[in-house]
Amino acid sequence: MPNLFTLTFQLAVVLAVCRLVGELFRLIHQPKVVGEMFAGIMLGPSLLGWIAPHASAYLFPPTSLGFLSALSQVGVVVFMFLVGLGINPGELKKEGHSAVLTSHVSITAPFVLASALALFLYPRVSDSSVTFTNFALFMGAAMSITAFPVLARILSERNLLGSRLGTVAIACAAVDDVTGWCILAYIVVLVRAEHSSRTIWMTIIGLAIFGVVMIYVVRPLLRGFMRIYTKKGELSENLLALMILLVLASALMTEYLGIHLLFGAFLMGAIMPKGPRFVRYVLDRFETITITLLLPLFFAFTGLRTNIGLVKGSEMWMYCGLIILVATAGKLGGSTIAAWVTGMPIREAAGLGTLMNTRGLMELVILNIGLDIGVISPALFSMMVIMALVTTFMTTPVLKLICPEAMLNAPSESTVRPSSPTNVLPSESQVA
Amino acid sequence: MSTTNRKFVIAYIVLVGLPLLGMVAALRSGRHLTAPISVDGTWKIEANLTSIGNRSCANQVSSVLSSPLVISQSGPNLVVSSSSAKTSSGTIDGTNLQFPLVPAADSGCGNGQTITLAAVLDSKSDADTFAGHLTGTDCASCAPIEFHAIKQRKPRAAGAH
Repeated sequence: MPNLFTLTFQLAVVLAVCRLVGELFRLIHQPKVVGEMFAGIMLGPSLLGWIAPHASAYLFPPTSLGFLSALSQVGVVVFMFLVGLGINPGELKKEGHSAVLTSHVSITAPFVLASALALFLYPRVSDSSVTFTNFALFMGAAMSITAFPVLARILSERNLLGSRLGTVAIACAAVDDVTGWCILAYIVVLVRAEHSSRTIWMTIIGLAIFGVVMIYVVRPLLRGFMRIYTKKGELSENLLALMILLVLASALMTEYLGIHLLFGAFLMGAIMPKGPRFVRYVLDRFETITITLLLPLFFAFTGLRTNIGLVKGSEMWMYCGLIILVATAGKLGGSTIAAWVTGMPIREAAGLGTLMNTRGLMELVILNIGLDIGVISPALFSMMVIMALVTTFMTTPVLKLICPEAMLNAPSESTVRPSSPTNVLPSESQVA
Repeated sequence: MSTTNRKFVIAYIVLVGLPLLGMVAALRSGRHLTAPISVDGTWKIEANLTSIGNRSCANQVSSVLSSPLVISQSGPNLVVSSSSAKTSSGTIDGTNLQFPLVPAADSGCGNGQTITLAAVLDSKSDADTFAGHLTGTDCASCAPIEFHAIKQRKPRAAGAH
């Protein structure tokens, strides 16, 4: 049984620190979610555990971490459903060659650079329990991800969601996330197959059948939600509960099949109907509690696993710097070149590259999976978390530097804006 | 094929196709790389402490070995922690590993006195055991104490099978 006093105390402290640091970050023109990510690190061994070990041990005793982890995982399951709900890879078609090429290059460029970096890092930060292929593929997936929700937040705060830059960035980020998660699913299957009695082919066949059922059987049925919403203007509590049940069932199925809970939740969101008003309605129902309470727990849990003290000595910091450099070169550089080659002006192309380099929360989700399955070591996890923080933090100032607002296009009619400043995901269309 | 489409295809081959080939080449060449042997995990150390007798620092050794050691590994660098010892750093080089152990509480041996653990991994058993000796620093009269360690099964992580 959890110690309720400890758990409630943890919830209160995490919530207060995340809100406070989030607001402080808003003062320096950073999205609140970036501040919350930093707050999580501050509550872990990197700061609180370092300067006040007794307070840290009192607040987060090892026996309590299981409950904190479980609560934060529930939050991430719902969050991944919301991410899947918010993305619409179909948008890519509207953006033509530029978006197709940019999105694909923004995956392959970081992937190839990460593979090359893995040749250097594998003997230095990994061990024999991980194969080189798994290590390199994981590094590639982790570096090629774009934080779709944070990206949408930054675009909306800069009033860029309706600009060409904004629409291409959103479409590319959606494709990147779907591709990144597919690759990560493959890696998880490979790693778990090594320690499981079930053969890899059984897992792959099971997943293929599950995917087909979800797309061709479940997806058409899900349109019923939107039909009812369109007719009545709302969904009853029972229907919302049914929606959550479907998310949980899908999550459990992917966990049973040998990948991870989060893939099922993401897939359920991805196959939901994409009507802008319907999407906004569902997001509004689930976002507040998830983003206000449960995600800060995930940031705190990630912070408790991140020990910057493990990055010791000049050599380790050099590895960390190299990771940041390679991640930025692959994502920012690759996207910029691809967008420029397809005719986008160079500054706008660099702005797109900067946006695509935002990793944020999605990176933390992927890194936690990597640490759970043992593909990355705790020190590499800490280095990658630093990379995620740096690349996310740099987005807003670099974007301001490269693309002053005056040079960007005015919002178009299909603009999708957040309904409130607390939202991480893009919100309802402003179609009049 | 129109000029625009032709340009797109060329750009796609150069910017997507070539990096993919590069990635395949990197994955192939990396297959021959070896990483340090994995010792990450929880280890139970067993030593014949009766052989220590009443030697000085006997309490120190027994207090350090009273709880399992948790080794966290990043390449050749190890971080060793235990409820009965302060967190310390060590290294692994091939099958040899070495790290200091400092009792968490004063064991009557003076503050800051450490025990050095030096061991050789049994590579035949997938690094599930290692054996070696413990040596007390600043203790000229202490003979090395032989021990062996057995890896303990890790509890499954949240969300993991």
